[in-house]
Amino acid sequence: MNKFYSLGIVALLMLSCSEKQDRLFEKLDSATSNITFKNELLESKNISILDYLYYYNGGGVALGDINKDGLVDIYFTSNQGKNKLYLNKGNNKYEDISKKAGVESESDWNTGTVMADVNGDGYLDIYVCAVVGINGFEGHNELFINNKNNTFTESAAEYGLDLDNYSTSVAFFDYDLDGDLDMYLLNHAVHSELSFGNANIRNNRNYECGDKLFRNDNGKFVDVSAQAGIFGGANGYGLGIAVSDFNLDGYPDIYIGNDFHEDDYYYLNNGDGTFTESLKSYFGHTSRFSMGVDVADINHDGFPDIMSLDMLPEDEKVLKSSLGDDNVQMLKLRTEKYGYHNQYTRNMLQINQGGKHFTETALLSGVAATDWSWSALFADYNQDGEQDIFVCNGIPKRPNDLDYVKYFSNEQVKRKIGSTKLLDKEALKKMPAGNVTNFVFEGSSDLQFVNKSDQWIENDSIISNGSGYADLDNDGDLDVVTNNINDIASVYINQTNNKSHYLKVKLQFTGKNTYGIGAKVISYSKGKKQFKELQTTRGFQSSSEPMLHFGYGKIAVIDSLVVIWPDKTYQTLKNVKCDQTLAIKANANRKAFDYQKLHPTVIPVFKKVETGLGIDFTHQENDYIDFVYQKLIPYGRSDRGPAAAIGDLNGDGKEDIFFGGSKGKKAAIYIQNTNGFSEKGYSEIEKDSIFEDASAVIGDFNNDKINDLFVASGGGENASNLQDRLYVAKGNQLINSVLPDLSQNASVVKAFDYDKDGDLDLFIGNNSLNNRFGSTSDCYLLKNNKGVFALAEAKTFEGIGMVTDAVFSDFNKDGKVDLIVVGEWMKPTFFANKKGKFVNVTETVFPEKSNGLYQSIIPFDIDNDGDQDYLVGNWGMNSKFKASQEFPMKMYYDDFDKNGTYETILAKEKNGKYYTILGLDELVEEFSGLLKKKFNSYKSFAGKPLEEVFDMKMLEQGKLYEVHNLKSGYLRNDNGKFAFVSFANKMQVSPITSFVKSNFDSDSKEEVFAAGNYFGVTPYHSRFDGFSGALIKDEKTIFLGSQIGIDLTQKAVRHVDVIRFNGKKYLLVTINNKKAEVYELPMSSN
Amino acid sequence: MKSKLYTIAAVCLLFISCGKQEKIVVSASDFRAAVDTVSEIMIHDIFSPPVASRIYAYPNIAAYEVIAQNSKTYSSLQGQLNGLDSIPTLDSKAGVNQKLAAIIAHMEVSKQLIFSEDALEKFRDSLYKKWEGENSKEFEVSKEYGLKVAERIKKWMGKDNYKQTRTLPKFSVFASQPGRWQPTPPAYMDGVEPHWGEIRTMVLDSASQFKPTAAIPFSLDKKSAYFKEVMEIYNISLKISEGLKKSEESKSNPVPEESKVAVFWDCNPYVTVSQGHMMFAKKKNTPDAHWIGITKIACVKTNADFEKTVYAYTKTSIGIFESFISCWDEKYKSNMVRPETVINQNIDENWKPLLQTPPFPEYTSGHSVVSTCSAALLTTIFGDNFAFVDDSEIPFGLPKRNFTSFKAAAKEAANSRMYGGIHYRAAVENGVVQGQNIGDFIISKLKMLK
Repeated sequence: MNKFYSLGIVALLMLSCSEKQDRLFEKLDSATSNITFKNELLESKNISILDYLYYYNGGGVALGDINKDGLVDIYFTSNQGKNKLYLNKGNNKYEDISKKAGVESESDWNTGTVMADVNGDGYLDIYVCAVVGINGFEGHNELFINNKNNTFTESAAEYGLDLDNYSTSVAFFDYDLDGDLDMYLLNHAVHSELSFGNANIRNNRNYECGDKLFRNDNGKFVDVSAQAGIFGGANGYGLGIAVSDFNLDGYPDIYIGNDFHEDDYYYLNNGDGTFTESLKSYFGHTSRFSMGVDVADINHDGFPDIMSLDMLPEDEKVLKSSLGDDNVQMLKLRTEKYGYHNQYTRNMLQINQGGKHFTETALLSGVAATDWSWSALFADYNQDGEQDIFVCNGIPKRPNDLDYVKYFSNEQVKRKIGSTKLLDKEALKKMPAGNVTNFVFEGSSDLQFVNKSDQWIENDSIISNGSGYADLDNDGDLDVVTNNINDIASVYINQTNNKSHYLKVKLQFTGKNTYGIGAKVISYSKGKKQFKELQTTRGFQSSSEPMLHFGYGKIAVIDSLVVIWPDKTYQTLKNVKCDQTLAIKANANRKAFDYQKLHPTVIPVFKKVETGLGIDFTHQENDYIDFVYQKLIPYGRSDRGPAAAIGDLNGDGKEDIFFGGSKGKKAAIYIQNTNGFSEKGYSEIEKDSIFEDASAVIGDFNNDKINDLFVASGGGENASNLQDRLYVAKGNQLINSVLPDLSQNASVVKAFDYDKDGDLDLFIGNNSLNNRFGSTSDCYLLKNNKGVFALAEAKTFEGIGMVTDAVFSDFNKDGKVDLIVVGEWMKPTFFANKKGKFVNVTETVFPEKSNGLYQSIIPFDIDNDGDQDYLVGNWGMNSKFKASQEFPMKMYYDDFDKNGTYETILAKEKNGKYYTILGLDELVEEFSGLLKKKFNSYKSFAGKPLEEVFDMKMLEQGKLYEVHNLKSGYLRNDNGKFAFVSFANKMQVSPITSFVKSNFDSDSKEEVFAAGNYFGVTPYHSRFDGFSGALIKDEKTIFLGSQIGIDLTQKAVRHVDVIRFNGKKYLLVTINNKKAEVYELPMSSN
Repeated sequence: MKSKLYTIAAVCLLFISCGKQEKIVVSASDFRAAVDTVSEIMIHDIFSPPVASRIYAYPNIAAYEVIAQNSKTYSSLQGQLNGLDSIPTLDSKAGVNQKLAAIIAHMEVSKQLIFSEDALEKFRDSLYKKWEGENSKEFEVSKEYGLKVAERIKKWMGKDNYKQTRTLPKFSVFASQPGRWQPTPPAYMDGVEPHWGEIRTMVLDSASQFKPTAAIPFSLDKKSAYFKEVMEIYNISLKISEGLKKSEESKSNPVPEESKVAVFWDCNPYVTVSQGHMMFAKKKNTPDAHWIGITKIACVKTNADFEKTVYAYTKTSIGIFESFISCWDEKYKSNMVRPETVINQNIDENWKPLLQTPPFPEYTSGHSVVSTCSAALLTTIFGDNFAFVDDSEIPFGLPKRNFTSFKAAAKEAANSRMYGGIHYRAAVENGVVQGQNIGDFIISKLKMLK
């Protein structure tokens, strides 16, 4: 056996040797380069992570040509040692000139560094941050002014920048567009408060911890933080900073990444010297332990997108033995009671939607987990025209290791930790290491990144903090430099060379902003737009070369290049040849730039009606958290309301609206009159407030020519009233009418005369029984016999699955209406109407394995081929769920521990093996007897595949559910057979819960409007809040909300309907736990 | 006649053992060591105070039932504890060493209750090896009986609703509901054991038999009784902080007694320490372990024999067990918010209690109920005015404290919760009444001495 293994290893070794492919980056040998800088943490200094929480944050890198010899030089900060300046001598040789240059620094603890021409003399100066005032750290932030002869003079005091507080980094940029560089100082708190405290602590300025904004007044930097609206509280754990004109109004804005519970800050520049912090209205959620931040336009829409790093591990072993997210109740408390925003422990990729809001896609994009990560750098490393990402990570000691957190103190070290240094060392020894190899991702179109860490770089266990990029060897591609803890700094030389076309742009601007910081360059080539903005502070504690780099793949000549200068002027270059360094000087006669040009015209399909036409319905979800009762279920069940139904309820020919209530909350009926809608009370409906109204339909069920109302009851609550209800119109009232026993957890009711006997029949789709997630219930077909409903064809609709939506539609073109049912953990199920009886024909018409977590369905000929296709809303791809036909996501369901309650166990595949989705602590909440003795440490549990955690025999006795597909898309009709086709990734950011078909614009064809989002998941999944809604015109033409005048982000939409008022059409959006919204359709001819 | 038979049997036994092996000598200290071992494992495994009470009670009862068989002094608890019957009878001729069997039964039941079985097995196996070497036959028969009793106790234990309560809902935090308990800093842990009131009682008729007076209704009106209670805790804390500050400034100013008392009786098994990214748990005894420790001190001081030691441990641990059910039943009915939450949100954002707030609702104070009940029971065993030096917290770096009686210790323990800033006065005072009622009831109902 052993022999086999070693043989295997040898074979592998040989394979890897022979297959040693050309890496994109090769590390420069320090013996050749003479770069021997190490950020050494000195034990002799007797400081540890116990004394200073950011002891392992490491040093920074600043890159720039300090002597204007055309070669980029490198500056490193060392926390405790001497900083180093390496002069680039060409041919990858460097000379250490730190000492004679006078830039070694005097402070005891150095952090971030930036090269910038602070005094505007055309030469790069160096700014170095320090932590001063704790642990006996002395010194101050330093500004080394370039003497233009390879020496520098420390002049921070002269400029008013000799700050002595807890600095992380700075950014030099011209926020007031007065032509000189101002400075934002990013500071960090040094102890986490034990309690969160109210979020408004950030309003009380604190000198040591609070961030600061300095205005450059003729070489003197004046602290204008308070008047400019910059937060400076004691809870500002500032680790990440990115400056960019996010809303493209010409004024640079700021994104600040804060560690711990403090929210990130999104400062929008008001253009009058002040900023408005606007995080909550622009972002649905952010990273929790935010570290480095970087910005680039990754999807060619000309708007800068944001990545913020966190510490979610990728490796199962690390993942399951590290502290994860808050529990669901804690997050609720933190957001609702203490005023913080939604934060989750993973990287976030925030896609800018035309400056109007951001849609977070890190899970969809494949960049959510890069372990303990410090610095992200967007750049086109392989020069294919798409932005790639280089992530630096690692920590020498991993303090969030669960075994350490829970069991450490019971080891021999029992006395109060911190009482002596000796004990500290003992304590530290027990903390596991967190060395992780850096991550590189290759960008591609459609928001997707591919992990290339194994191919593009050599895997190592070095801990890297700060990083920067520059073309060090002047071969046109971008090289990367990282500052490492206790290891020689890494210089990654890019081997792309001439394999792909590039363009380097260096700007020369007027006045004091000599490098043109804040300038934007937009390139257009073969229909593709690339947008870059010159900001050098990037990644973490570092700055990159003041140069803009573009990759073009096989394109050798660029159609045009527009340079927008910081003063809102521009100049254009046409037919620019690639593979050169273009020095662009600001034209004397440059023209004013109209920023509106960068904002694509919004097609005004929708316009919000602020008055709501009198519809003033706010759905209020009742206080019930499914996960408190069913601890292991994958998502909630009792938050799928409200119901909404449109129809004429009072016989005046005008459409009225029924809104359902959640359990214990009143439903509402809005009656249309000439001025709008007004609420009318119906006593029998009010009496039925104990029901959670899941779905409703208005129709004439007793053929008396006046419409009645059918309400299906649902909800996941442990004590639910589930009987569905029929209210018959009598006089002015709606009167409860008799129905058979229909007490399952309904999710949808649809009415149609399927048997063509002249009255409306009903189909009711049901989901899992209340408080028993995972059970499958029967659906109901209710045959109408002169106003009396009776169950029909019960066998056909037995145990179909967890149904969410259904549609009556003639899918086989035989003139009889058929039925399609969709749901969770099941595939779209087709029932053909054969002589008035439904027959399940799914395996004939839609044989592919396509179980999903479907939420909605609508008939629509999306490919314009004349037959009926069906759009299906699914869970989307922006999720920790993972499913494919080869490796379906699995859910086992049974009373596994035989205690009378049913459990669900979910598993997903990773590298060919299945792992439980939940961690030990969560599983133990249901299976303490089964698991607590088996795994008495997290280490013993972490990395164990499903079959080693649970007895497979036990699991297999339960019911197994599978999901093969999480994407939303459409079922393409190919001559009566159907095939699933997925939508593009911009449509996969959230579950799509509702569709409505109408002609929304001015053409003659109908479109479908889709909406979604869902928040009923645990913090582990974060929150699906980024879908703004979309107008689907055809398979290739889909507009997102920001393009058509509607913003449904951060709203969990349940229904979209078209209502008619005064001869005009309106869109009604019904939202869970929020007020319903009404939109005009300005383009619709009605 | 009877005594004659005994003598003959004894002589026979002596003969047998003389012929081959000595009789295994087991002393009270061996039993105490077994309990100590379980206590240590519990600290590692992290059990909340209510769960810890269960881990003490059942093994002690198993040991007690072994020694009560055929005993002239002690009565079996069969028929006295809810659902306990059919303890395997002991054949007095079988040669069972009851002390040995008692420890074996104790270890066997404990093993099921704790998580780190390997630690207990290590302890057990070293004893087994020793005993087997001393007298394998006596060991085998004693083991057989001990395990039989353990089996019976485990079966009884299996029906106390513990398993069912594992899967019941968590405590629901409704942030909107004023006065409702909320998770507290720094770890903001979920409410611990929200269904402990549903565990089967042993002696009490029901968990709510001694339901305390209703908690003072929550109100933010400054004139309300509730708000005055809050202010009392806040002011006590300010006074103690002032004293602590002075004592730090100069050695001549003593550390306030209230602060010493609070820290001594903290008994929080899982104190979260967090310094930025650094987080770890400081572990201490539970209140249960503290009172079991005091029981040990009394046994040692009085030189109690094996049987009396088992008796004392058993009686005390039954009292603790009942106290937690009664107290938790009330806690998750009144769901009272902790002073820390109210003070931080309404009075002083930066206030921190001297002790870390434990993760469960405030009313009544568990320590008050448990301590009062334990003291009542210990008094019946060792007498009133039993002066002792409490050194049970030394392993956790705390000093010794002297007490004139169990009741005096209990009183101090109860008051310590106000000094610690984690309970209001009503929770302490009504908790004391609750504990006294439980203790009195157990004393009147349980017949352990013949």
